[in-house]
Amino acid sequence: MAVTVEKRLETVNNRAAAGPGKWGELAGGVYTLWRKHMKKFSRSVMEIGGTLFSPILWMLLFGLSMGGMVRGIADFTPSVNYIAYITPGLMLLTCLTAAILGGTTLLMERTSGIIKEYLIAPIPRLAVLLGTMSSSLTKALLQAIVIIVLGLLLGSGLNLNPLAFIGGMGILLIYTLGFVGIAAAAASKARGMESYHALIGVLNLPVLFLSNALYPLEKMPPVLAALAYLNPTTYAVDATRHLFYGAKIEIGLWLDIPVLLVFMGLCLWLGFRTFQKSVANPA
Amino acid sequence: MTQIAQPVPPTAQPFRRNLAIEVAGLVRTFQNGQQAVRAVDGVDLQVESGSIYALLGPNGAGKTTTINILTTLIPPTSGLARVGGFDVVKEAAQVRRIIGATFQETVVDKNLSGRDTLDTHGRLYHLPKSLIKSRIAELTKLVELEEAIDRATKTYSGGMKRRLELARGLMTQPQVLFLDEPTQGLDPHNRDRIWTYIRQLKAEQGLTILLTTHYMEEAEQLADRVGIIDYGKIVKSGTPEELIGALGEDVVTIFGSGDTGRLLASLRQQPFVDWASEYSTGETPGEDSLAKPVSPSIQVGLKEQAGKSLRPIVELAEQAGFKIADLSIKRPSLNDVFLKYTGRRLRD
Ligand SMILES: Nc1ncnc2c1ncn2[C@@H]1O[C@H](COP(=O)(O)OP(=O)(O)OP(=O)(O)O)[C@@H](O)[C@H]1O
Ligand SMILES: [Mg+2]
Repeated sequence: MAVTVEKRLETVNNRAAAGPGKWGELAGGVYTLWRKHMKKFSRSVMEIGGTLFSPILWMLLFGLSMGGMVRGIADFTPSVNYIAYITPGLMLLTCLTAAILGGTTLLMERTSGIIKEYLIAPIPRLAVLLGTMSSSLTKALLQAIVIIVLGLLLGSGLNLNPLAFIGGMGILLIYTLGFVGIAAAAASKARGMESYHALIGVLNLPVLFLSNALYPLEKMPPVLAALAYLNPTTYAVDATRHLFYGAKIEIGLWLDIPVLLVFMGLCLWLGFRTFQKSVANPA
Repeated sequence: MTQIAQPVPPTAQPFRRNLAIEVAGLVRTFQNGQQAVRAVDGVDLQVESGSIYALLGPNGAGKTTTINILTTLIPPTSGLARVGGFDVVKEAAQVRRIIGATFQETVVDKNLSGRDTLDTHGRLYHLPKSLIKSRIAELTKLVELEEAIDRATKTYSGGMKRRLELARGLMTQPQVLFLDEPTQGLDPHNRDRIWTYIRQLKAEQGLTILLTTHYMEEAEQLADRVGIIDYGKIVKSGTPEELIGALGEDVVTIFGSGDTGRLLASLRQQPFVDWASEYSTGETPGEDSLAKPVSPSIQVGLKEQAGKSLRPIVELAEQAGFKIADLSIKRPSLNDVFLKYTGRRLRD
């Protein structure tokens, strides 16, 4: 059992040179962290409940009551029923909330020092960021699916064209990645939970109300409509409402998709930069 | 995806057989607002393979910063550091593969079980699954956590968490292990256990260990060499025996009030006095300078046994107008070594 000093030393060079290579280390690191975060997520009733609570409440209260009210107005929500009309917005809200809560994983690992275990492990530092981002994204998309199912139960229907469904999931993914980037930036900078959570408060409601999530753009006062056009949610709602539920498109995929891609790119870049800076001096 | 590749022939620089850690002129500064703090200010140290080196120093001395640099967590501002022959900046990737570490604060994910903690760690180091399994079994046995290993770590006591962290540091069979205050805040029983594991690891596996500590006893018990660090510099290093031996025969400590400067000057002129220094009790510079009133004391290292020199010391004090409140004699310990080189007492 006992290994001599000499023997150990001989293996040092081998050990240092061994390993799965640069890409293998990145992939292994991302997978390990993703797995760890998902494991914790599956045991955390709080996180799942916290993300799903408000959209479900919105769907039940808003959808059912407003739905009944606007039924009389023939053209309030063109081409689809009201549940189908609001489900995309609430789905996106769920994704946003999940992305922000996913960011708390990074924040907590940073402030508690657990991140140090990762930073001195033989994995690229990028793996720490990508591990967190991928787990946030997974959580968000899983919960979006819950909302789709809930919508179905409430009578939203669903566009059965598989290509459109995949396209819709793609839009969710792009939109969520944008907020995953914002969350990563905030989690890399925030001093603690309080300042981080201020972010959710700031983002959550405006994102929902200053967009076409609950009512059509053309029915909004011009000032609100103008603000809604600055909100990436508007474009994501436009696209997913069309792709998932076959609603008449208000803006057009040709604009929705590039706008969302630019939003995602900028936010991911921001998250990446801020993270890099924070781990350059983690102590 | 998590498979380890077969060891390939070394492409890295050959490892220097006898030195596991080499540090020369290491400097690290931090910007604290307007002020630049030199947390590490020219540290030189060398640790032989298979030995235990203890960095002993007061709060804020730069111990953690040194370890952070050696474990590649932060880069140095200047200077050189090599671990296992690899440069911690240019060859950080290689260094990371051969080291293990525990941090000063307890860092375990409270919602994971002990087993998950070790498993995740093994995966981060790309160990094969079968090896992870067998290591977890061995290590839980070593640190005596068999019963608790499948419980969430939030149910662990402080000592259990510390032991789990040690197991985590050992998961990957590191060549060099860094332990930042491994027994801080533990009761004597848990402290003893950790000491036992550390000795065992060194004896059985020839592991090289760099640890930091506030406890003299710990350094004396475990370390082959001790480095006393203060204000970012190693002020003295050697084996515990060397350091204590260098203090001379007996050490006399004088408590009281008066002109300490004058007394020190006259003491230093005596042929039987090896060294004399002043220190203040109940004070740690920087941190809590508003602490209790400071009572000056003087320590005198004698070249011979204290018997004959006590009278002259008391007379010298009277001449210098120094009122002696208390006086004690003892054989020197590492504590006195520390006191001599830092002018401060460690909080034990
Ligand atoms: N990230 C940082 N930013 C600014 N100053 C720092 C930082 N880290 C350490 N310092 C400063 O550097 C000095 C050395 O700190 P360090 O943590 O290395 O001391 P230490 O010997 O480990 O002390 P302790 O025994 O209290 O753990 C201290 O004055 C500390 O305030
Ligand atoms: Mg420290």
